[in-house]
Amino acid sequence: MAAIIRTLGSRAAVAVLATKHVLPSASTAALRFASTAPVDAKKPDKPTVRKPDAAARTSLSDFGRYVAECLPKYVQKVQLTAGDELEVLIAPDGVVPVLQFLKDHHQAQFTNLIDIAGLDVPCRKHRFEVVYNLLSLRYNSRIRVKTYTDELTPLDSACEVHKAANWYEREIWDMYGVFFANHPDLRRILTDYGFEGHPQRRDFPLSGYVELRYDDEKKRVVCEPLELAQEFRKFDLSAPWEQFPNFRNANPPAEVVPPQAPPAKK
Amino acid sequence: MAKIIKASTGLTGLAVSTNPHHTLGALYGKILRAVAKMPQEASYRKYTEQLVKQRADAVANNKDITALEKAVGCGQVEELIVQAENELILARKMLGWKPWEKLSQAAPAKQWDWPPAQILEPKV
Repeated sequence: MAAIIRTLGSRAAVAVLATKHVLPSASTAALRFASTAPVDAKKPDKPTVRKPDAAARTSLSDFGRYVAECLPKYVQKVQLTAGDELEVLIAPDGVVPVLQFLKDHHQAQFTNLIDIAGLDVPCRKHRFEVVYNLLSLRYNSRIRVKTYTDELTPLDSACEVHKAANWYEREIWDMYGVFFANHPDLRRILTDYGFEGHPQRRDFPLSGYVELRYDDEKKRVVCEPLELAQEFRKFDLSAPWEQFPNFRNANPPAEVVPPQAPPAKK
Repeated sequence: MAKIIKASTGLTGLAVSTNPHHTLGALYGKILRAVAKMPQEASYRKYTEQLVKQRADAVANNKDITALEKAVGCGQVEELIVQAENELILARKMLGWKPWEKLSQAAPAKQWDWPPAQILEPKV
């Protein structure tokens, strides 16, 4: 009986959550619940076109501003992508503080580390980007934290914050050669024993460096340097004509969230 | 019924708290003391103090557990305790990190530009 009473109580708490009466002075929390407001389905829109969700964008940019205000030492830029995803771009020395803040703060609670991704852009000064995707079950929202590094600079490991980071960081070490300091067990994870190089780097040849073949004389599989090595070729892929003239004035892929909120319209 | 103790929280690994008001009060006091060591203008201090004081008030005003959960609106009391513990650890770590200082290093030019093909540099 007591359990039933408590269950009813928690249901009532959820119902209260849905309305905006919770935490009236904590504006961030109240605004974040606004994304769950029902969308009016009166306008006949194309079902294939994704509808803009202004409430979600406002609440996300508010939260991004909140993070930037709480951690001005580390947050370099906050942006919203076209698909309503919040991205926090941070300095490389702030990986652990930012992830810990997002995990443990009352207003964030991004307790799940969904994925860590890597990115290689060789023409940049810091060629690698490391992307952390986080999920908050409490507030039903996601956030993406991005940072950068080069071949030699180690990045702080997120293992002390999220246990899940262990294998993801091993994967990035394997694929890109980004070194993670304080990682408990930084080994290769996807490539074979004795593999050399980091295959996801843009300068890694498509054919690899070595080949495996069965040697009839030795009666075993041998590993040799590649004989028909692909020589380095330059592909100039830019065409003389403009490929997507319709998108010449398209919106940028991400919208920067300014540090100060725009004045409220009255 | 003077006191309702539920059988379970329904969440794996989270035991029912016997005296949540006492635990929460102690934790919120600790958080406020840790946060008080930060500079006055730090935004993290400002927001955390505001929120923790609000929750501490809710704990003080609601003797009934269900009413407290309803007033706070962030899960069961056991979850509130976990959240407060996390915040306490965070606040203590924050004292070492000092994230309220100015930006430690600015992003290099064109680091966050996307798509990168727009970077106008001589082709390699």
